[in-house]
Amino acid sequence: MTDVAHAHDPHAAPPAPTGWHRLTAPGWLRIMWVTPIFFGIGLGLPVLLRYLAGWDPVWKGSVLVTVELVTTPIGFLVGLGGFDYWAYYASGRPTRVEDHSGHGARSWRDYFRINTDHKVIGIQYLVTTIFFFCVGGLFALLFRAELAQPGDQFFNPQTYNVLVSNHAALMIFLFVIPAFAGLGNYVIPLMIGAGDMAFPRLNALSFWLLPMAGLILIVGMVTPGGGPSAGWTCYAPLCSHQPLGQVFFNMGVQWAGASSIMTALNFLVTIITMRAPGMTFWRLPLLVWANFTTSLLVVIATPFIAGSQFFVMFDRVLHTNFFEPAGGGYVLGYQHIFWFYSHPAVYIMMLPGFGIISEVVAVMSRKPIFGYRLMALSLMAILVLGFSVWAHHMFVAGMAGWLRVPMMVTSMVIAVPTGIKIFSWLATMWNGRIRFTTPMLFALGFLSMFVIGGLSGIYLASVPIDIHASDTYFIVAHIHYVLFGGSVFTIFAGIYYWFPKMTGRMYSERLGQLHFWLTFIGFNLTFFPMHYIGLQGMPRRVADYAHRFADINLFISIASFGLGASTLVFLYNMVNSWAHGPRAPGNPWRALTLEWQVSSPPPIFNFDELPQVVGHPYEYGVPGARHAIFGAPQPTPVQSEPAGAD
Amino acid sequence: MRRGSIIQLTAIGLVAGAICTVVALAIPWLPVSAGQEADRIHFVFWFTTVICICVFSVVAAVLIYSVWKFRAGPDDDSDGPPTHGNTQLEIVWTAIPAVLVTAISIVSAIVLAQNGHAGTNPLIIKVDARQFAWKFTYPNGKSFGFLTVPTGRHVKLDITSEDVIHSFWVPQLSQKQDAVPGQHNSIVITPTRIGTYPVICTELCGLGHALMRSHINIVSPAGYATWVKQGSAASAGPPGLAVFQQNGCGGCHTFKPAAATGKVGPDLDNLAQLAKQAKRGALDAFIEESIVKPQAYIQPGFSDAMPHIFGTQIPPDKLKQLVQYLAKGP
Repeated sequence: MTDVAHAHDPHAAPPAPTGWHRLTAPGWLRIMWVTPIFFGIGLGLPVLLRYLAGWDPVWKGSVLVTVELVTTPIGFLVGLGGFDYWAYYASGRPTRVEDHSGHGARSWRDYFRINTDHKVIGIQYLVTTIFFFCVGGLFALLFRAELAQPGDQFFNPQTYNVLVSNHAALMIFLFVIPAFAGLGNYVIPLMIGAGDMAFPRLNALSFWLLPMAGLILIVGMVTPGGGPSAGWTCYAPLCSHQPLGQVFFNMGVQWAGASSIMTALNFLVTIITMRAPGMTFWRLPLLVWANFTTSLLVVIATPFIAGSQFFVMFDRVLHTNFFEPAGGGYVLGYQHIFWFYSHPAVYIMMLPGFGIISEVVAVMSRKPIFGYRLMALSLMAILVLGFSVWAHHMFVAGMAGWLRVPMMVTSMVIAVPTGIKIFSWLATMWNGRIRFTTPMLFALGFLSMFVIGGLSGIYLASVPIDIHASDTYFIVAHIHYVLFGGSVFTIFAGIYYWFPKMTGRMYSERLGQLHFWLTFIGFNLTFFPMHYIGLQGMPRRVADYAHRFADINLFISIASFGLGASTLVFLYNMVNSWAHGPRAPGNPWRALTLEWQVSSPPPIFNFDELPQVVGHPYEYGVPGARHAIFGAPQPTPVQSEPAGAD
Repeated sequence: MRRGSIIQLTAIGLVAGAICTVVALAIPWLPVSAGQEADRIHFVFWFTTVICICVFSVVAAVLIYSVWKFRAGPDDDSDGPPTHGNTQLEIVWTAIPAVLVTAISIVSAIVLAQNGHAGTNPLIIKVDARQFAWKFTYPNGKSFGFLTVPTGRHVKLDITSEDVIHSFWVPQLSQKQDAVPGQHNSIVITPTRIGTYPVICTELCGLGHALMRSHINIVSPAGYATWVKQGSAASAGPPGLAVFQQNGCGGCHTFKPAAATGKVGPDLDNLAQLAKQAKRGALDAFIEESIVKPQAYIQPGFSDAMPHIFGTQIPPDKLKQLVQYLAKGP
């Protein structure tokens, strides 16, 4: 990581604290002593209460872990300074006057503290999530090594299940969802002509919950007694009787979910209230539309997974009976609550990618987005329909029989707005002047892979076919075509597309294209054969399998190592280009949206002059068309105060 | 659009469709069907496949054509024509997919209804799933660790679980149903093809999940009648073997006489040696204690993962058979 000196930085670094203040000022020194105090509270309180109540044993692992996973992260955040402003305010002490010293990055150190600059937070998010992407990918390679042959080679079933469960959990909760939050964080305020997010301090806090969540999930894997091994779906009642590591899983998901909700609220308020003058909803770039709908999904749905994880944890720790059949619990209740989040979560992991693809395809094809309004409305249609399809994950679960056909129909109908988007992108490319840059290659890769994933989704929406294919490798193939060929390809497209804006440097186009082809080929060789072995009878989540699938699994494992290796090209390109790449101009893609109208990287408060939006964002080829003009006389600026009382 | 480009586009689409069709037909995607329900599900599969190949070919044609024809030259800074949309086209590509998915939905709903039809006189078999074994109980009250059914008769499986969620699947019958504790689910199978096929647990149910396997024998009606008559002698070999299989010991343990290869728990081929190390009395007593009260002594290197339920689950006479069977060793 190099220092990213923002142009026009009018603000000095905060004065370095001296003497005792070094220990009390927010930062890593304060973390060193505040976290142990909170750790001690989390340890002492339950032990003391159990001792006083005369309960045996005084040291009870699951209770201690549950309390610790609440207090210790809070201690860390307190030390870091995540609550300082609100604590001053709530306790009636004078709040520190906002001098913007916590805004922007002057050196790499500024990325390791509470930073209120959405651009710094965006990069914090992306670097963190790519780290977890590599960890999650490594887990996948480890269990692919195990699966190269039938029988047990490297891992016992417990370790294997832990790797599988955490591969999914890290990829979903610590990579795909927050990577989109990172890209959105960086780009949305710039795109709508705002100086920052609506709630910069909340934004900083929501980022710092994320490494905590990731750490909790990873530490949970090596807890005594074994890590969480019930799959990322951790169905009750299996997961209520798992080793101690399961509590780490339940709590890790809570922290990641809280982070996700905070960011979504921030996006919603920012998009609704902080658009530049003239930026009506029908002039919003589709990426902003996509994040708007995604944020609605997050805010409405995420509390449900929080509930499901709390309930299973209560069943375990507090001996409640939410899902315990012996105590009158409703076993399938878990799945209903879980999927009421986790199906919308599929769209949480997909819609921001749709937004990225709309930006890239329009710019690289030099044409306006085909059917802009229908593109925006189809996002809203997916948002609404997304809440009416959750039970298609439960066609074989034994839920109320009548629910199956209605849920099949709604699931099928989602293909219609999704199809609209695919056809509109194709029509946008039609007759265009297409530039095959790395972001465009990933966009095309996304289009083709997502069509396959979407079509295999049609098979799974059909109840009879789903009954055959459910819980087999066909499902594994389908979700990877949607989440890897879909979401991950769009994340790569977005990272390459905005890399010049974020770092002020160009990435290596040659390495970018190499990365694309290696990923594209490795991806298909890895996941396409899984359709076949799944339909033929190989269930998922097994460390051992029938000998007749040995050859094809060996092939898949070898291909997956190639796919893993392609990530090295990406990492090298990112690090090397960030340090040594040629300087990027403000607008290397000749795009019309607002983020490209400022320098690369943008000024510390984004816009030295407030933009006045006068037209649509995709008017390529329209003579004399403008999206925004700078320096126009401003009647009453909409966002004169960058931060409310957040 | 020029006529030439329409011809080229169509040609690409036909080639893409032809390649997809070859891939669909050349690879045996689905297992051999062994039941009426599977036949119907295969029909829905191929019906959907035809539609999907058409859709995929259209998308592939447009995509490949665009990549081929609309590539900008290295010094080409021009923009494309500013087309903002086309209402007719947008209506078409909203309506056609809607019609196609409606068609798939209708076919699926009809097949789903047909596959749930058990007729007036189904053979009802109770299926009890447990970590990590299947138990199939017949109307005459006899239970087995595997399933035997006749061809040509509706068989209704009444499925439940004693601990966590499992899922019953026979790939050749295509029917699948989760076994949920505290709840009875049912599916109908109507076998048509004589043979032996695997019964697979498809819902992650714990450490022995991958080995929670059994099999289904589909026999002729006459063969079934004979089997029912000789039912009690159904499992050849020592009586302990049947107990071993019914309780799913092989899901976790290796034991050569039972062809069990589980590696979650200790290797039972070495029981005599393990008993010596454990110093917990004679071999028989050690085995019995380890089954009835597994937490009393845990073999070093293993955890307290064995269910504590077998003490109440296995009747005393069966327990004795099992202990004798295990004590005999490989």
